[in-house]
Amino acid sequence: MDETIAEFIKRTILKIPMNELTTILKAWDFLSENQLQTVNFRQRKESVVQHLIHLCEEKHASISDAAQLDIIYMQFHQHQKVWDVFQMSKGPGEDVDLFDMKQFKNSFKKILQRALKNVTVSFRETEENAVWIRIAWGTQYTKPNQYKPTYVVYYSQTPYAFTSSSMLRRNTPLLGQALTIASKHHQIVKMDLRSRYLDSLKAIVFKQYNQTFETHNSTTPLQERSLGLDINMDSRIIHENIVEKERVQRITQETFGDYPQPQLEFAQYKLETKFKSGLNGSILAEREEPLRCLIKFSSPHLLEALKSLAPAGIADAPLSPLLTCIPNKRMNYFKIRDK
Amino acid sequence: MEQANPLRPDGESKGGVLAHLERLETQVSRSHKQSEELQSVQAQEGALGTKIHKLRRLRDELRAAVRHRRASVKACIANVEPNQTVEINEQEALEEKLENVKAILQAYHFTGLSGKLTSRGVCVCISTAFEGNLLDSYFVDLVIQKPLRIHHHSVPVFIPLEEIAAKYLQTNIQHFLFSLCEYLNAYSGRKYQADRLQSDFAALLTGPLQRNPLCNLLSFTYKLDPGGQSFPFCARLLYKDLTATLPTDVTVTCQGVEVLSTSWEEQRASHETLFCTKPLHQVFASFTRKGEKLDMSLVS
Repeated sequence: MDETIAEFIKRTILKIPMNELTTILKAWDFLSENQLQTVNFRQRKESVVQHLIHLCEEKHASISDAAQLDIIYMQFHQHQKVWDVFQMSKGPGEDVDLFDMKQFKNSFKKILQRALKNVTVSFRETEENAVWIRIAWGTQYTKPNQYKPTYVVYYSQTPYAFTSSSMLRRNTPLLGQALTIASKHHQIVKMDLRSRYLDSLKAIVFKQYNQTFETHNSTTPLQERSLGLDINMDSRIIHENIVEKERVQRITQETFGDYPQPQLEFAQYKLETKFKSGLNGSILAEREEPLRCLIKFSSPHLLEALKSLAPAGIADAPLSPLLTCIPNKRMNYFKIRDK
Repeated sequence: MEQANPLRPDGESKGGVLAHLERLETQVSRSHKQSEELQSVQAQEGALGTKIHKLRRLRDELRAAVRHRRASVKACIANVEPNQTVEINEQEALEEKLENVKAILQAYHFTGLSGKLTSRGVCVCISTAFEGNLLDSYFVDLVIQKPLRIHHHSVPVFIPLEEIAAKYLQTNIQHFLFSLCEYLNAYSGRKYQADRLQSDFAALLTGPLQRNPLCNLLSFTYKLDPGGQSFPFCARLLYKDLTATLPTDVTVTCQGVEVLSTSWEEQRASHETLFCTKPLHQVFASFTRKGEKLDMSLVS
């Protein structure tokens, strides 16, 4: 086994926390049950890693085996990367999409290899009709850098692919081209949507974040929803602004729904608008050029935070549509210009 | 009681008397104990008995209170009129009707297309089925405004919902719903066939079933006699019509053989026809039946 491969596998295994190690090794399915049983996982991590590398050498692990391990690690630690969303489109009147996974993989690999000669492409299919692609980039003259790969999650027979934001920006057009051609699309466009939470991005892009539907078969009565107000039921206490509270509650419920919000960490607004002021004669109001301004909202869970603004009394209800349109418009990067 | 024996000397008769006294003493203490025990048991019995009486009284009181409440509620509803009983019957009749209607609305689910009015429009439920098996349900929540729009839905991403909506939603909502029903039922049917092939006939497959999300391209290799000497067949099924559950193009080839003998060629061609005309799992069911017939012929 090549020293570089051994080093790469070693560094990958070192990243894995001890409590996940057996699960990930089982998912990798490269070392046999017997081999794994010979490892004492209670030792110090360095000793465990040494033993595992030795076993990998016995089995002649290749770079593609190592790449599979890396993909599995990334599947368990998706939140370590920030994910971009790309949307592809076909021309009008296209044939029905008869997606063939084998054809797609071959085509994708060929396009990258033809362009770059040195590139490691690995695939791993998941059960939710998605394929994880790992690309380690090299050039005509240098070997692929295994430590800075790009990951792509493509949902077949949909126009969407999610990619980990890569530092190697120069490869993005080639990646886009490979994806488009291999999946039989014509164009690819980057959406203004970015987050660490792949599941939330998927829910927003596929419009699956609201899965509550009213049917005659459901037994939950409608009155239960309004009990979220948490108002004291003691009849001796009168809430002076209960009408206002109920109005705010109703508007929040109409805007945000009853379902858990998808998780985003920020929303960014780039303003290029002229300054508007009530006072006449202010210096800024006289400017002809638009004012440039960047506003960024950050939160561990931005949409839930926005949802709680009006009920907490911090903002007026209804909230600005610029904030509430985020999941609907599938954007969290906005450019606002004067009309 | 023993009498002191006058013939014994004093010491001995004392022993006799003392022993006698001792015996009497233990008898008395024993009978005391017994009577104490008896008393305590009787006391406990008495206590439990009174408890039972108390609980019975409480139960009767509560029952009476419930009865009284029910009667007063009914009286309130009936407004204490002379024909109270008639009113109560009407009330019950209306309740029964309401339950009936609710049950019918729930049963509409089984027609494949049902809906419920919402505050902003209607939530349509498309329940798919194939060969009499009820499969997944999909929802489309519509907002009744000008223009009509879809609020949210549970249709899978690879079903061309936006295309169908763009064509029909604004002009002919019936056509929109029926078209969507067609696509979803066909998808459910194809998925059902692929799932059945994977689960029920895995023994005849020599490799994994290749499928895609829409289940409109299936590729697999199979053998009529697993473990036997025959060559495996490779089948590739294309469903170009997304509203159909049968393939539009079928190619069956024999793996590893350039030229087939006439009998194999006949079989290959017949398989192609079978896949085109019958659902996938039924074709494989007929394969297993044929296999069984062959076995029977060997036995006899």
